[in-house]
Amino acid sequence: MHQTLTIARREITSLFFSPIAYVVLGLFALGVTWIFFLGFVPGQQATMRSVFGLVARFMIFILPAVSMRLLADETRSGTLEVLMTSPINDAQVVVGKWLGAMGFLLVLISPLIVLIGVMEIYADPDYGPIITGFVGLLLIGGLYLAMGTLASAATQNQIIAFFITLFLIGMFTIVTMILGSMNLANANVREAIFYLNVETHYAQFNRGLIDTADVVFFLSGIVLFLFLAVKLLESRRWR
Amino acid sequence: MQTRFDDLPIDIMIETKQLTKHYGPVVAVNGLDLSIPDGQIVGFLGPNGAGKTTTLRMLTGYIPPTSGQACVAGFDVLKQSEQARRQIGYLPENNPVYPEMRVDEYLEHRGKLLCMSRTARKQRKDIVTDRCGLSKIRRRVIGQLSKGNRQRVGLAAALLHEPQVLILDEPTAGLDPNQISEVRRLIGELREKHTVLVSSHILPEIEKMADRVVIIAGGHIAADDTPTNLRKRLSEHGRLIVDVRANGEALQKAMLATVGVKHVEIHTQGEWSQATITPDKQTDSPGMHDPREALGQMLLKNNWAVREMRYDTPSLEQFFIEITAKQDQAA
Repeated sequence: MHQTLTIARREITSLFFSPIAYVVLGLFALGVTWIFFLGFVPGQQATMRSVFGLVARFMIFILPAVSMRLLADETRSGTLEVLMTSPINDAQVVVGKWLGAMGFLLVLISPLIVLIGVMEIYADPDYGPIITGFVGLLLIGGLYLAMGTLASAATQNQIIAFFITLFLIGMFTIVTMILGSMNLANANVREAIFYLNVETHYAQFNRGLIDTADVVFFLSGIVLFLFLAVKLLESRRWR
Repeated sequence: MQTRFDDLPIDIMIETKQLTKHYGPVVAVNGLDLSIPDGQIVGFLGPNGAGKTTTLRMLTGYIPPTSGQACVAGFDVLKQSEQARRQIGYLPENNPVYPEMRVDEYLEHRGKLLCMSRTARKQRKDIVTDRCGLSKIRRRVIGQLSKGNRQRVGLAAALLHEPQVLILDEPTAGLDPNQISEVRRLIGELREKHTVLVSSHILPEIEKMADRVVIIAGGHIAADDTPTNLRKRLSEHGRLIVDVRANGEALQKAMLATVGVKHVEIHTQGEWSQATITPDKQTDSPGMHDPREALGQMLLKNNWAVREMRYDTPSLEQFFIEITAKQDQAA
């Protein structure tokens, strides 16, 4: 555990050493604020629902850029060899990397707290859905980052890792949505496909509902992709 | 100590048995048997692509062998990988480091990865930075350091947890002669406290610091001896070169008649002839391996002028090229 956190800490500091991190953070904060104030007019409901929904959409494009370097960069620069020959196991490396990226995600969505503060000044927001929405954002982001960790373990090219992640996220958002809304003959298949859609699960959180089924969906997804990343990293040993 | 590899005596630090690695159809390391006792500094030599890095990577547990076994400090590198890795300080080829970190931060990071306690980290960081001459640049960012200094950082990190076994892959690659001699001095200081396996493709570099030189080529061990013995073996290959003002044929005839001469090769250039003589090692005559005296008398008798007579001992380098080329032909 200790070593996992060591890796996570290094990851988050190194993320802040790349100029791209600041560009991403800046643009995200700007975009979110702009959208917030578009809907910030008298008479509107004091909720963050539409903002959170858009943030979840933004993450589809932003998080692959955060996760793409996690393992790909270490493989390319050879520092992976140092990590793998230290007395730590592959799972610690993968989880540490993912946790580091999660730390960045926390920083990324922190401007939302300021916006909620602004809302508090002018209105009386309902904190229930806001808190569940936040939890949902962390879960959806965690899932995307887990997909990104897997993609980053697959290649030493960051650009390829970015597109693999985008593809994976696309499968669980756009593709399942299109397939799910098509008139498929078998209702069970349709339902199964629809179940895989990430955004429907997230919508519950945004509505203020924490359903165990949704939490299980996200957590099992995160575990699955991190597990696959560990296996992929291990495969280096018998390739 | 926990369960140990077979019944190895404790003083064998690195042991491989028929260690083999295939990359698809390519055989990188082929049935390597190596045994290194505690405290020895072993130079691991071979041309590029001979299987040095592959062997070292198998020893450090980075890649598994296709077949065969390896153990470090008594632990099987495959079955007791974590324990084995704990005993190893490893400097990989090209010394990968995180360029954005400061020297001190990097060592701290490596110490934490090794599960060292806070006090141990502080203490050992002071010792290794001092030893590797990094004390003055502890706060500098690694990416801005010179290659030599970066190499010292890698070495300091490898030494951080006082490992029993140090594995250094080409630690002198890309350094200037001053830095090379510095790294050599550093490694020399590790004698007795650590077992060191250091690879290189440059022989004279290794020769000076190693107790023993293992030369591999084509995935096999081509030679395994002390540097002194290697030199001795070389001198047996020594040839005598004499530059004489004389007719080539007459000279060859006269030389072959001299005691202790086995073979003569003549190159004539103008009125000077250069003879390359292979001494006869079988002869029991007083001249033995050194026919120089007899040759001198012969030349004097014939009244031939001599402008040069020298022993040409092939350098270790030539020897290295010779045996590695032989291995390549066999492969």
